[in-house]
This record gives sequence, C-alpha cells and structure tokens, in this order.
Amino acid sequence: MNRFDLLNKIQNILKDNLVICNIGLPSQELYKINDQPNFFYMLGSMGLSSSIGLGLSLSQTKQVISIDGDGSVLMNMNTLATIGNRAPSNYTLLIIDNGSYGSTGDQRTFTDENTSLKDVALGAGCKKVIECSGEETLNELSKAIEDKNNSYVIISKINSGNVKIDPIPLNPITIRDRFRKFIGIVKYL
Amino acid sequence: MFNHFISIEIKKMKISKKIIDNLKKGGVDFYLSVPCKLLANMIDILEKDKDVYYSAVPREEEGMGICAGAYLGNKFPCIMMQNTGIGNSVNAIVSLLQLYQMPVVFLISYRGTPGEPVGAQGGMAKITEDILQTLRIPILHCSSENDLEKISTFSKHAKVVESPVAILCDFNLMKDDK
Repeated sequence: MNRFDLLNKIQNILKDNLVICNIGLPSQELYKINDQPNFFYMLGSMGLSSSIGLGLSLSQTKQVISIDGDGSVLMNMNTLATIGNRAPSNYTLLIIDNGSYGSTGDQRTFTDENTSLKDVALGAGCKKVIECSGEETLNELSKAIEDKNNSYVIISKINSGNVKIDPIPLNPITIRDRFRKFIGIVKYL
Repeated sequence: MFNHFISIEIKKMKISKKIIDNLKKGGVDFYLSVPCKLLANMIDILEKDKDVYYSAVPREEEGMGICAGAYLGNKFPCIMMQNTGIGNSVNAIVSLLQLYQMPVVFLISYRGTPGEPVGAQGGMAKITEDILQTLRIPILHCSSENDLEKISTFSKHAKVVESPVAILCDFNLMKDDK
C-alpha cells in the first residue's frame, strides 16, 4: 500500500472532519481523490501540518486530523513535545510514514534507518501512540476519532511510491475561506 | 506601611501589564511564547489569565504554524519571542501566514538594542528591522511607555489588512519592568 491507496481507503473518515494536509504530493493526491472544503491544503511551510492542526484543535471543538509525513515530522520534531503536553482530545495526528521524501524524488528518510517516530512521540509525552500498517490504519483512525477523551498520534507504515499528479489549482485564499466557511466563521461565500 | 507596599505592587510589571491589556483590547485572545527574560513578566501575567489561551512553545517556526491553525479556528493569535525568533521563522511567515493572509501579532523583545549587556545579541538586532521590512511586515517600534498605547489599534490593523504585524519592544523599555 502506498500513500495514494491509503488516502483513498480513509476517505470516509476524512470527509466528515477538519483535515490539515501536508504540502506536496499528499495534498495533491487528496485533492485528486475527493476535494472537500474541509480539507486545508498546505502550499508551503513544510513541517508545519502537525502544528497547524494543533492550533486549530485548540481553537474550536470539531475533530481535527493533521496528515503529516515522516520527512516533515523529522523537520519539526519539537512540535511532538507541544502535542504531548497540550493537544486536546479533538486532535489526531496521522503520520504517513513511507520512509522517504516522496515529493522530492523518494530519497530515504531516517525512519528508514534508525529512527522510530513512535518512540520519539512517546518520549515527547504523547500518551496514545499507535504504530500500524496501512491496512490497519482505517480502523485505528476511526477508533481515535470516536474516543472523545484522548488525542492520538497514529504512525501508518506504508510503502513509498507516488502517482503522477498535477499541482492543486486552488489559490490560497480560496482554500482558506471555504475551510473557514465550513467551520462557520466565513459567512460571505 | 501597607499603602506603601500596595503602591510598589501596582508599579510592578507596569509595562508588561500595559502591553497585555492593549493586546487584549485589540482583540488578541490566543498567546504563545518562546521565552526571553524581557518577556518573563508577560508570561507570568498570561499564565494566570483565564480569559485567553496561553502556552509556551519550543520553537518560533512551530509557533507560526500553531498561530495559523488558531486563526483558521477563529482566534486572533499573538506569538511572543525574541527578535532572534524572526530569523527562525522566515519561511513559515512567507509561505504560510502571508500566503494565506493570516493576521498574527508578533510581540518581539528587541534584544541587542542599547542597554543590552550581551554583545552577541547585536548581530540579529542590526538586521531585525531589515528582515521585517523585506518581508513587508508593518512595524510598531515601542521605545517609551507612551508608545504602548498604540498597540491595540496596531493589533486591529493586522486583522484589517490580513497580515502578520510586528511590535518591537526595546531593551531599555523592558529591562526595569520588575
């Protein structure tokens, strides 16, 4: 299973929740599979998907899923400590861990060598940390969303590999405003 | 004796209280900080304030991300940091906050300005305003207590122009606020 297969498989959960999606191929694949106004596509700032989702979950009560990647989490690992100490129960971080920098040509990341993001997340203070296969991810993700008392970090171990895909045609303000309209903040669209 | 004690208490942290009061008057209701000794009193005040959200964060760039999410969720965020933090955050400011036009207040302790005892802080001080100007970020430079009155209007301006804005607080303004 690669990232595209996984994103396809978890669509039914994503479509009902606020989703912050990582820059590059993850966002482009998600857009291609099933574009939704409650999906916030990152067009820059690699590494910050987990942090943006955290800020969003602290600011309103709807369930938030941050879709991040192993390369991106390695770039902003300190945010796992913030999540371990501050994440509310409406926050789920889904790390799609394919051991490679998919958007830049599948160079290997350190999770393909010695680094375990599960151990890092546990050490950073995250309590509910699940490492699972791509096949198990749908089930683990739905359990995490149903649990109203805990935040979760789910590390989905999948294969590297990408589908050929175009950049997202939406401009950033469109992404921003339709997302905020879905939450109920923007009234004018 | 007792009255004397009270007057000292009120004078204590006068500058920090004024800054937070004006930020709150400007609508700011979500605060993060990466610590600086010049920000310590504001952190103390915010930790006790039940009306707003406050948390420490380990790194400024991450804080920019959390502020972006807070804005999406209808908060008006502020990140407090040293001017060194701007250096840590340039890409997040440009490719996230400015790209999506998100109002965020940067409350910056301006280390390396006159009064600063640590020479090594001078490097970032020399280029801080140049970086902010290159990024086209509106600046409010506070060097005296009177300047602090402008903070609420300046914060509201961030929302109107949908942009991050920067408040620089000089070393000498903050250093005696004990």
